[in-house]
Amino acid sequence: MTQLDQPVVLTTATAIAATATAAEASSVEALPVERSALTDWTRSSARFAIALGGALAIFGALMLLKGVNPLVAYRDMAVSTLGDSQQLGGILVRFTPIALAALAVTIPARAGLINVGGEGQLLMGGVAAMGVSLGLDGRWPGPLTLVVMGLAAAIAGGLWAAVAAVLRLRIGIAESVTTLLLNYIALDVMYFLIYDRWKDRRGSGQPATRALGRGEHLPSLTNGSRIHLGLVVVAVVLAVVVVVLRTTSWGFRLRVVGGNTEAARRAGLHVGALIISAMFVGGALAGLGGFTQLAGAEFKLRSGFLSGYGYVAFLGSWLGRHRPIGVTMSCLVLAAIAISGDSLQLDAQLPAASVNILMALVLLGVFGFSRRRKAVL
Amino acid sequence: MTMLVEVLTGGVRGGTSILYAAFGESVAERSGVVYLGTEGSMLAGALAGYAVASTTGHPWLGVVAGAVAGGALSLVHAYLVLSRGANQLATGLVVLFLGLGLTSLFGARYVQAIAPSFRVVDAPLLSKIPFIGDILFRQDPLVYVSYACVPALWWFISRSRWGVLLRAAGERSDVLVATGHRVKPIQYAAVVFGGMFAGIGGVHLSTAYTKSWFENMAQGRGFVAVAVVMFAARQPFKVAGGAYLFGAALALSPALQARGYGVNQFALDAVPYVVTLGVLIVLGRRRAAELPEGLSKVFDAAPSG
Repeated sequence: MTQLDQPVVLTTATAIAATATAAEASSVEALPVERSALTDWTRSSARFAIALGGALAIFGALMLLKGVNPLVAYRDMAVSTLGDSQQLGGILVRFTPIALAALAVTIPARAGLINVGGEGQLLMGGVAAMGVSLGLDGRWPGPLTLVVMGLAAAIAGGLWAAVAAVLRLRIGIAESVTTLLLNYIALDVMYFLIYDRWKDRRGSGQPATRALGRGEHLPSLTNGSRIHLGLVVVAVVLAVVVVVLRTTSWGFRLRVVGGNTEAARRAGLHVGALIISAMFVGGALAGLGGFTQLAGAEFKLRSGFLSGYGYVAFLGSWLGRHRPIGVTMSCLVLAAIAISGDSLQLDAQLPAASVNILMALVLLGVFGFSRRRKAVL
Repeated sequence: MTMLVEVLTGGVRGGTSILYAAFGESVAERSGVVYLGTEGSMLAGALAGYAVASTTGHPWLGVVAGAVAGGALSLVHAYLVLSRGANQLATGLVVLFLGLGLTSLFGARYVQAIAPSFRVVDAPLLSKIPFIGDILFRQDPLVYVSYACVPALWWFISRSRWGVLLRAAGERSDVLVATGHRVKPIQYAAVVFGGMFAGIGGVHLSTAYTKSWFENMAQGRGFVAVAVVMFAARQPFKVAGGAYLFGAALALSPALQARGYGVNQFALDAVPYVVTLGVLIVLGRRRAAELPEGLSKVFDAAPSG
């Protein structure tokens, strides 16, 4: 596979401090060396295994501090997360929106854009899909409604992301900051709708919209499991993204823009259009993730809908180094870790959010202790 | 109390936690490092401050603990970014997750706990000034400390020798190297300073503003601090203005509701973020040019038009 990464930019200080090995590594970085996919794969798996081991050890020590036997807790986590097909299904359900939102980070990253707005784009997708369902109110046949819901979700997510791209181009504000702020605005938009405009008056307790009609549910893939058609959507999207990024001129141009904007502009590429389209396509994928979660797993908007998924997805894209297949696999691992938090709460009586420590430690291990320095996007 | 006074008073009260965090972020960014983990350091500071205040009975000890906790978390960021060459934005977000997890693990028992809080103290004489006295000088002690921090930080960054080194680290690190200085220790110090101030911001949040601790209580204030620093171009007086603006937007919702206006709460909750984004849009182009050299590598991986 061709080396797709940008050359590492070392600060002067680092360059001076760099040892012979590091210098060697960075010169390898700078040249587009053909390397077999197999060694690449073994190396990143090994790095990941070491990071995971270290993370488990540190997190175990923390659990010990809280009076929980880490060995028992890890056994419970493993059993309840990977133990039976029901639980494995849970991981895949969690994985579906995360993978889509992670690809929403990957595509703009090709053009050098940093999309931290997966959270908001997922929500806007869910909101748009719910809006379609409420607007049509069961007048159209289920499958047709589902298609319209998916389209609306993709467009809404795409537009929400494109706002940040336009702001970057017209005003020059970093999209990493605007996408973050847009996340909170999207959250308030959803809260406004579920507490007010779309609130199900007949529902009791927690404010939520009414549930989707039976015909508007994405079908399950297997009998009796919760895995839904969204997983197929992920597979199709992944395949399309891989092909588009590798073979189309659009995918190539994105890389040129991400590599050297000035060169891209002088070569006559429409940098602005490429940036907006990259963000739009990314946001659209995240929006699709909001739709699959709504129509496949939750069936209504409620408070806490997809909360935190966007940030996990962002980290998943970095973990997979913005290469679609690696990103998707990383998301599977992150989804499994996230799910294991439920076991922490049930079996070890620790807050479910504690599992964020484990996730962060794994990521810190991979980001910080890879031998080849990946300093810059 | 008129509504204007109420909103502005609330703006100072609610903006102070962001102000501290934004002070810290300004210093870190001046050295060329973006610390998105500010949100995590705020959480760490909020919990540590609340826990220590609750066990010892002294809120000021809580401030110390909060600064230590926030600084410790930022040290993780500094090490990964400066010594291991990890990406700043991704690492910052990971540090946030670490802070989120740690505070939820160790914070569960403090959700119900009661801690002594910072109370509002009327400043002698000054609080008698009409209008301004009501807004600025009927506040808690941490707010008064933050007033002193604004000019102190301005002097530190713009006039002191340390400030020159700090800015050089962010703008022209090769010049520092050429004049026999080491860049990394300066950047380490700046990032940890940033984390400590974010921690103090968290302490203000838990022991003075909400007077409680709950999971994920910073609710994006750390990210807002990063945005404020950006549109304020890392200048302390402008940072203070931005933080109070956000605080005032936060205070708008309860003030309107107390007067029985039937405005939707969640529409109002979005106001602070919309205002922040709006100010970024208005001031954006000018500010982008003022980005320290070292930072543009982080933010301008992508081109602008």
